[in-house]
Amino acid sequence: MKRKSVLPFFLCILICLGLCGTLQRTAIFPNWSKTYSVKQEGIPSTLSPEYLLFAMAGFRELIAGILWVRADSFFETGNYDAVLPLIRLVTWLDPKQIDVYTIGMWHIGYNFTDEQHRSDRRYLPSAIALGKEGCRRNSETYELFFETGWVWFHKIVDDFPQAVKYWEEAGKRDDIDFTPARRNLLANAYQRNGQIQESADLYKTLLTAAEKRFKDQPEVFTNFQNRDTIEQNLDTLLVRMTQRGWFAKQGGHFEQGAYDSRPPWDVKFGARVTVERPKVLRIQGNWNVLPVGTRIRVILRDKDYPHAVPGGMDWDWKTDVSLDPPTDETFMQDDLFVRNRRFNRQIDMSRDVGMYPFKGENYVLEFFYSPRSAAHHIQDKFSWNGEGMTDANHLNTEIRPGQRVIFAQLELTRDQLLRLGDWSTEGGKTPVLELKGFVPSATNTADQDLVRIPNLRAEP
Amino acid sequence: MRVIFSIAGTTIGEAVRRRILLIILFIGVLFLAIAPGLGALTARQETSILRGMTLSIILLTSAVIAIVLTMYMIPNEIERRTIYTILCKPVQRWQFYLGKYLGAVGALGLMMALMTAVLIFVFAIMQKGSAGDIPQLAQVPAMYFVQMSILAAVAMFFSTFTSPLVNFFLSGGVYLLGSVMNPFFETLSNDKDAHVVTKGFAWFANTVLPNFANYQVANPIINPTQQIDTQFGYYITTIGYGLVYIVALCVAGILIFDRREV
Repeated sequence: MKRKSVLPFFLCILICLGLCGTLQRTAIFPNWSKTYSVKQEGIPSTLSPEYLLFAMAGFRELIAGILWVRADSFFETGNYDAVLPLIRLVTWLDPKQIDVYTIGMWHIGYNFTDEQHRSDRRYLPSAIALGKEGCRRNSETYELFFETGWVWFHKIVDDFPQAVKYWEEAGKRDDIDFTPARRNLLANAYQRNGQIQESADLYKTLLTAAEKRFKDQPEVFTNFQNRDTIEQNLDTLLVRMTQRGWFAKQGGHFEQGAYDSRPPWDVKFGARVTVERPKVLRIQGNWNVLPVGTRIRVILRDKDYPHAVPGGMDWDWKTDVSLDPPTDETFMQDDLFVRNRRFNRQIDMSRDVGMYPFKGENYVLEFFYSPRSAAHHIQDKFSWNGEGMTDANHLNTEIRPGQRVIFAQLELTRDQLLRLGDWSTEGGKTPVLELKGFVPSATNTADQDLVRIPNLRAEP
Repeated sequence: MRVIFSIAGTTIGEAVRRRILLIILFIGVLFLAIAPGLGALTARQETSILRGMTLSIILLTSAVIAIVLTMYMIPNEIERRTIYTILCKPVQRWQFYLGKYLGAVGALGLMMALMTAVLIFVFAIMQKGSAGDIPQLAQVPAMYFVQMSILAAVAMFFSTFTSPLVNFFLSGGVYLLGSVMNPFFETLSNDKDAHVVTKGFAWFANTVLPNFANYQVANPIINPTQQIDTQFGYYITTIGYGLVYIVALCVAGILIFDRREV
């Protein structure tokens, strides 16, 4: 007896498999990806095969836990470099380990410092990229949005729209608690971002909620405390809005009144930079603001440093989390602290070759000051956008749209910075660069601890 | 049908008497019982790790049992010549094949039920008698059972034309590939620069190979903050998907077995 051909059967099987494939792609996979995926992306090359095998077998969380305990021992011994690959591995294995993202971001952003405790800012885009990845993989909770916003707000201290964006996202999550410190930070970020009305509105919303909670549970002390804190914050903001002339500006009668922010105060900024020794700068200068608290940002970087912007960097440029900073490029950022209207700081980059490689030929030294990041008592005069601040030589209204900032740039060569050739320490000239407006001072020494009574209206 | 169930019943009896399977099962149960002691290894919430680990133990043990159980089914019958005593009776080959498969799945189900019972017992002790999320936890091994039934069908299909050793690696390889398929597709869908050939190969593999990753539904149990949408619909769809693969593999296996010289 002739057997039936198997071809029709196999054709039927193939059709069934084709239908299964379509079902898989259109219905099952999107749902799986949304709910059941742990959102792992790519496979890290540093993961050894036995770990990979265990991870594939479903022991991801356990392996991640063991690796994180190992990372903890590296933290304790100060072996910070060894922690980086572990952070990457743990977050790949178990993307729901929020603490590892948080600690990882903080570690990358804050812990790599030079001998003078300056952070290696070349790492910061990686820290932000890690935060972004954490937010993507844990979008159901507020935590990583809050932590990433904190890095923007506290560490980068520039580009405040990013802090606002992340904290607004955090506020949309149900699990954010009512701690004023968390919610109030968004109101603070609004102010730093020049969104004053939004800040006041948020305080009002928070106050209404806090009053309701206090009314519901008056015996709970924290409810009383929360309400008071928010009320005080709102009061202070309303006073500032009045005294800085914000309401007057909205009403169109700013020019008629006497507000703290007018007339603009001339900060009379000037600076002199001396390359005292190879990779050692002395920066002196004048800043006509008597109250203590001004910090002027100073940046020394390669002239063609990737993603550099005036007075900073596009910190958000990175999308992938690679934990190796650009080892051939130099980016130093520090603050010049002003006392008695002067600053005088030695910046020693000679002891950290890895952080300051100085491989390029040309460098720029930038000075930057934005009232947005100023202390409140100074902002009381300058206002949020710098309306109360001016400078004959260095006022800039272009590099940060909507703000009046102080910005100045000097150029240096590698030979000058390393004291080579004509600039040699043995018989060569000493590189000295001056900004317009610099006023030498006979009393300009490092010993400047005398603080006079602050008074913005004092004669310079 | 009676013939099929009769063969299936005998197969279950044989399976539970096989020492190698009992040893694998014993190791699995032992690991499940000692798993709570390993919680100290991690800084993360202990129950999250424990959930992930215990479910993985069930998954891994079941996968090994599924392959080891089915890879010997037909070759052993042929080698011991016991197949002749069955096929000389009014038993069709397809009935023999299906009976063997259903027996294997039945034995697998029993062993997985035992492991799930141990899992529930461990969590009941940890949660001090409260039910908590134990019902949700028990859903995961149920989905694993569907996954293992597909794996058993794969191993059974290969057993019609390969030796047990080759079958072990072949089925293991298919299982490994099928388990990483969804994460692989996720990576691929995020990679805008992926080559068209890579995408084409992925599409082909996704159509031909069963996707075991669909049954990895432990994530919301391990990470309770994960929001679940249309869980019932998802379960039904994936079970249907699995049944189609099982039927396809059984039909293909029967066709090959039917034409094989024994």
